[in-house]
Amino acid sequence: MPCSDSTHTGSMDESEITLLAFASARENLGFSTRSLAVNRAETPLDILRRIAPDANIENLRVALDCEFSDWHTPVGHARELAFIPPVSGG
Amino acid sequence: MIIAIHFTTDPIVIPRSSLPNREIGAVVEFHGIVRELESAAPIDGLNYEAYEPMARKVLEKHLLDLHAIHGCDAVHFIHRLGWVPVGEASLYLRVMSSHRAEALRFLADAIDRLKLDVPIWKISTT
Repeated sequence: MPCSDSTHTGSMDESEITLLAFASARENLGFSTRSLAVNRAETPLDILRRIAPDANIENLRVALDCEFSDWHTPVGHARELAFIPPVSGG
Repeated sequence: MIIAIHFTTDPIVIPRSSLPNREIGAVVEFHGIVRELESAAPIDGLNYEAYEPMARKVLEKHLLDLHAIHGCDAVHFIHRLGWVPVGEASLYLRVMSSHRAEALRFLADAIDRLKLDVPIWKISTT
């Protein structure tokens, strides 16, 4: 169940996932949001290596549909993959 | 426990304080203010951004965990997003409880957890 309503206008193709990149991840990856066709067996690392082969993932976490996940778990039916750099709220 | 989580791009307005029950003996407030130095460099302010739906989810889970540890009756959380000038608040937190000890501990732990993994970021523009 995607968690960001704003990123889902209209029907999404089953093979598509929305990628979100925040703060320093946005700077490094060069996008804040984009849609990508994926194979549901792909992992976040597979996907990242496809779009940014040289990206440094140190200190970078991932979330699938607003739940922290890890680089090696297949995205499965998730509709949203977020790249989460170290946080600094407050 | 009553949990209120708000994000705003406006200056934070302190919410009216209504006691959830007559057993409340402690109301603890915290204002996180933007300071004029960031990593020893002078700034005019900070930009904040959040992955809001996930921030709400992660924060609520933390607050529920802290309720299980400390008790407490109500927590009100406001985080300002976008540009926050020096001297203004980016964060407001209020905890209500019967006694001060758990309210103070809840508040301190909540801020620690906020800075652990709640997807909110400050971006200084120096």
